[in-house]
Amino acid sequence: MNDSQLIAVLASIVLQASPLIIAVCGEIMTERSGVVNLSLDGTMLMSAMTGFVVGLRTDNYWLGFLAAAVVGMIFAGIVALGSIRLGQSQVAIGFVLALLGDDLSAFLGQNYTRMSGAVVPKAGIPLLKDLPVVGPLFFDQNIVVYFAIVLVFVTWWWLNRTQAGLQLRGAGERPTAAFARGVNVNRVRYLYTILGGALVGIAGAAYSLNVKIGWSDGHVRGFGWIALAIVIFGGWSPIRGAFGALLFGATKALATVLQRAFPEVSVVAFNALPWLLMILVLLAVGSDYTERFITAMPHSWQRPLRRVLRVSPPMALGTAFHEG
Amino acid sequence: MVDFLVKYPRLGRLFDLFLPLLATLAALGVGAIMLQLLGANPFVAYSALLKGAFGSQNALADTIVRATPLLLVGLGICIAFRAGVINIGGEGQFIAGALPATLLGLSFPDAPAIVLVPAALMFGFLGGAVWGSIPGLLKAYFNVNEILSTIMLNMIAVQMMNFLLRGPMIDPVQLQAASAIPQTARLNTAFDLPRWIPTRLHAGALLAVVLAFVVYILLWRTTIGYRIRAVGFNPAASRYAGINVKRNIVLALLLSGAFAGLAGAVQVYGVSHRMITDGSAAGFTGSAGFNGIVAALFGKLHPLGTIPAAFIFGALIVGANSLQRAMQVPAALITALNGLVVVFVVSSDIFSRRLARRRQIGVAEPGSRGAGEQGSGGGGEAAAGGDHWPAG
Repeated sequence: MNDSQLIAVLASIVLQASPLIIAVCGEIMTERSGVVNLSLDGTMLMSAMTGFVVGLRTDNYWLGFLAAAVVGMIFAGIVALGSIRLGQSQVAIGFVLALLGDDLSAFLGQNYTRMSGAVVPKAGIPLLKDLPVVGPLFFDQNIVVYFAIVLVFVTWWWLNRTQAGLQLRGAGERPTAAFARGVNVNRVRYLYTILGGALVGIAGAAYSLNVKIGWSDGHVRGFGWIALAIVIFGGWSPIRGAFGALLFGATKALATVLQRAFPEVSVVAFNALPWLLMILVLLAVGSDYTERFITAMPHSWQRPLRRVLRVSPPMALGTAFHEG
Repeated sequence: MVDFLVKYPRLGRLFDLFLPLLATLAALGVGAIMLQLLGANPFVAYSALLKGAFGSQNALADTIVRATPLLLVGLGICIAFRAGVINIGGEGQFIAGALPATLLGLSFPDAPAIVLVPAALMFGFLGGAVWGSIPGLLKAYFNVNEILSTIMLNMIAVQMMNFLLRGPMIDPVQLQAASAIPQTARLNTAFDLPRWIPTRLHAGALLAVVLAFVVYILLWRTTIGYRIRAVGFNPAASRYAGINVKRNIVLALLLSGAFAGLAGAVQVYGVSHRMITDGSAAGFTGSAGFNGIVAALFGKLHPLGTIPAAFIFGALIVGANSLQRAMQVPAALITALNGLVVVFVVSSDIFSRRLARRRQIGVAEPGSRGAGEQGSGGGGEAAAGGDHWPAG
C-alpha cells in the first residue's frame, strides 16, 4: 500500500467515524446530566430514515437533517418525560424505544428503500485542504465531518468551561447539591436529554445522507449500540469519545485490509473483530485489575495512567431526582 | 375513574391484573388507525388476525409453537431481571444453544433418539449457559455493563453462526449445489420432538410450561432463588447479609442464558430440524431473544405470568402474519404493531404504579411523588416490571 492509498483509507475512517462522533457527543451531554438514553439504536434508525426521506422529497439535505434532529428530539423527549415526569425506569423506556424505532423505521421507510436522493456534497476548505496529511484527512471532507470535529471541541468547552456546563455536570454528579445551589435539576436534564437527542438524530441522518447513503430495512442497525459503548469507553469525555469512534472506524478498516491480506481466514473472524475489541475495551476500563495494575506503578505515573485507563460514570447517572 | 379504583382496592388490584390486556387493546386501537390510513378496514383486519391466531386447531397449535421460544427465553429473563441484571443477549444465547445442539444431532445421526434428544436439549441449555455466563463474569468481576456486553455477544454469536453454517456445518448437498444456501443438513427425522399430528404442536411447548413452574419454585421456594432476588432487590443489604453478590449475578445471567439456549435447541428439534441463516440473528431466531424480554415484562417478570404473556405474543405474531396475507398490508406494519404493544404494555406499568402509590397515600396530593414509592412492591411478587430495571 502506498502513501496516497493509506491517506485515502485514513480519510475514509474519519468520514465513517463522523456520525458516531456526533451521536457520542450528544449522548455524553445527556448522560453527564444524569439521564441514560438507551434508545440510540432505534433513534438513529428512525432519524436516518426520516432524514433520507425528507431529503429525497424536498431535494434538500438541510431539511433532511432538520427533520432527523426533530425525530431525535421526540425520542429523547419521551425518555426524559417518562423518566423525569412519570418516574419510570430510563433503561426500560430506552430499550423499548430502541426496538420500536427499529420496527417503525422499517414500516414507515418501506417505500423508500434502495432509492437515491439528496446527498451532502463534498466541500474542501481552501488552503487548509492542501496541507500535507492533515489536509486530506480533516479538511477535504464535507460539512458533516467538519460539524463533527467542531462539535467535539464545543462539547468539551461547554462541559468544562461554562457556567451552563457546570450546572449540567452538577445535575449528573450531585443533583441534591446542584439543587441546593439553585439549579433546576430536572429542567437541566430535560434540556440536555432533548439536545443530546437532536444530535443523535443528526447522526442518524449523517449516515443516510452522507456516510452510508440511502435507506433500506435496518440500514444503520447496531451503530446506536456502538455509540453507547464508545461513550463508556470515552469515559464520558467528548475528546476521548471521538478518539474511541475513530478507533472503532480504524478497526473496521483494518478488518477490511486484513481480510484482503489473508483471504484464507474466514470473513466472519474480521466481522466479529470490532465487537470483540469493544468488549475487551469495556473490560479494561472498568476492571478492578486495571486499578491494581495502576497502583503497582510508580507514583508519578499513576495519575496520567488512571486518566487514560480508567473511567467512572457520572455519579447520579440513571437515577431519578426528586426535589425536597 | 381513577378515584374509584383507589377507593375500592380490590377492584383496583383486579384492574392491575388486566392492565396489560387493556394496554394491548389500546395498542391495537392505534394499529386500527394505521390500518385505516392504509385503506384497510380495521374490523376485517382484526377478525383475520383473530382467526389466524385462534381460528382452527392448526392456528392454535401454531400460536403455541410461536409462544414456546418466547416463554423459554422469558423465563430466563425473569431470573436475570429479578437479580437486577438486564440480559439483552437472548438472541445470541439462543444461537449459542442451538449450535451445539444441532452439532450433536448431526454428529450422531444413528444414535437412539431417546438418548440423543435429551442430550441435545442439555447441550442447548449448556451452550446458552456458557454464552450467558460471559457477560455475568464480565459484570461481576470486571464491572462491564451487561447491557452493552450482551449486545456485543449477540453480534459475535451471529458471526459465529454465519461462519459455521457457511463452512464447517454446511449441508453437504448445499455445498455441491451451486446455490450453497448456508444451512445444515436436516436432522434425522427420528430426533424430531414428539408432535401432535396433524398440527405442528410439539412437546417443547409442554416442556416450557413445566419449566415455568420449575422457575417459579426456584425463585420463590428455594434458597438459591431467594438469594438471586435479594441481590436484585438490594445488593448492599444482601452483601451485609452474607450473600455472595458477584456469584449470584453470574448465576442469574448463566441461568438466563441457559433458558435462551434451551429455546434455541427446542426450536431446532421441534420446528426447523436444521439451522439456516440469512446473515442476521432474526433470520434464525425470529427475534425470539428480544420478544422474550417483552413477554417477560408483559408477564410482570413472574414465570407463571409469562405463560399467558408469551401466548398472547405468539398469537399476535401468528395472527399478524395471516392478517398480512388476508389484507395485503405491508409486513412492516406487523412489526410496528408489535412495537406499539410493547410500548403500551410497558407504559401501562407507569399507570399501575401511580395507582398503587395513590392507594397508599390516599386520594390527596395527586401530583406528589416520593411518599410510598418504595412500598408498592410488597414482597416483590406483585411488583410492576419497571421496579426491576436497575439504574443504568
